[in-house]
Amino acid sequence: MDTLSVVARFGVLIILYSYVFKINDGLIKNTTFVVTAWSMFFYFSFMILGLRNISKVIMHDVKTGNVEVLFSKPISYLFYRFWWQIGLGLYSFVVITIVGGLSLYLAIGFPSTFTSSIFLFTVPFIFLGGVILSLILYGIVGLLAFWIQDINPVFWIVDKAVMILGGSYLPVALFPLIMYKIALYSPFGASQFLTHSVYESWQSNWYELFSIQFLWIMILGFILYFMFKGAKKKVSVNGG
Amino acid sequence: MNSNNSITVSKLNKEFSFSVKKVSSGWFKNLFTSEKRTIKAVSDVSFEVKEGERIAFIGPNGAGKSTTIKMLTGILFPSSGEINVLGYNPSKDRKKLAYKIGTVFGQRSQLLPNLPLTDSLEFFGVMYDMTNKEIKNRTAELIELFDLGSFIDQPVRKLSLGQRMRAEVAASLIHRPRIIFLDEPTIGLDIVAKKSLRDLLLKINEEEKVTIFLTSHDEWILFLLLHDLGY
Repeated sequence: MDTLSVVARFGVLIILYSYVFKINDGLIKNTTFVVTAWSMFFYFSFMILGLRNISKVIMHDVKTGNVEVLFSKPISYLFYRFWWQIGLGLYSFVVITIVGGLSLYLAIGFPSTFTSSIFLFTVPFIFLGGVILSLILYGIVGLLAFWIQDINPVFWIVDKAVMILGGSYLPVALFPLIMYKIALYSPFGASQFLTHSVYESWQSNWYELFSIQFLWIMILGFILYFMFKGAKKKVSVNGG
Repeated sequence: MNSNNSITVSKLNKEFSFSVKKVSSGWFKNLFTSEKRTIKAVSDVSFEVKEGERIAFIGPNGAGKSTTIKMLTGILFPSSGEINVLGYNPSKDRKKLAYKIGTVFGQRSQLLPNLPLTDSLEFFGVMYDMTNKEIKNRTAELIELFDLGSFIDQPVRKLSLGQRMRAEVAASLIHRPRIIFLDEPTIGLDIVAKKSLRDLLLKINEEEKVTIFLTSHDEWILFLLLHDLGY
């Protein structure tokens, strides 16, 4: 159901933007519709992986006390949950990416940037960085449940920040300068740098974006590590 | 620690603290300066359990039985006191200890609800670093020991409560633990299922020499304790 709603949202936005580009003679801020559409496709395809759901899964574990079952096993709770989340979304992600990508190619074709060696070489790594950063970011939100139980308000804020700064509603290339800077330097935007890889500018600024993403992985990774250490001492479940 | 002891607990304490709203203050002041209240769940508990023993922790709700078992398994951290389980400190060596112990929580399921029981057993086998051959052999042993054959291929969510509890115990024994901790394993079970579970626990205690440590507020535990007296 989640996947269907994401696909439907993407379809509606693509139709709207094709119209917007048409009335602007096919070019907005030196960006073509093909590039914009693929950038948005990357965002929605990544979203189908469902990594954001890890926050709610952790909250559910804490609220129901299921966390005690996993804490009694010879595993790292967080890594178990990370891999579980990836496994849950992988099938939908692969199917939608292949089918959606092919459909989009048949409908509008590929942007010229896809054939550059830098794009082909860097895309797997920026995707992997996005996966790691998303899991860390949403993992931190989930771990808050050990202190505040209900993380929904925090989740809502973080999720909307990722959606907006990641280019869900408005493609990154069309952002006003100040918003583009926030998207560039905040962890919310950095988790979705995959969407930047289709633009011409990627050829010259990919290493800068890689560095920003790596820095956020390190900073938030440390925060996650220390939060988890604290969370283990906060475990409190029904009947003990 | 005595070399025959599986578990040694000395002066164990566990306190839980939580924030309480000050009635005299407004919401804003409460947000930053709420009152802290502390509850003592376990107070000055000391005991020893020898290898192969069957131990039952009996007491009313809120007595601290589950809290103790969760500290013994490394899930909860003690406020003070010392715990030694099979030579490990559960708070510091939780993962290493987990390879040597099995756990069953009566109020929660560790099995994968939408998959057949065999998949859960295989899943836990992999989790405990067992080889495919070891998992296959151990699964066959457990199916026979626990008489799981009639429902082994059914999705776990379709099992009766009694069947599920047998499956839970079997899953917790997949890696041949030396101690099995059971927290309120009889919750919701009828008298027939309780007896069946009791017989299984006695069987694994006698045949596999597994130390049994369980908590309950249920009188059936007496039967487990009185087994040696011929009941």
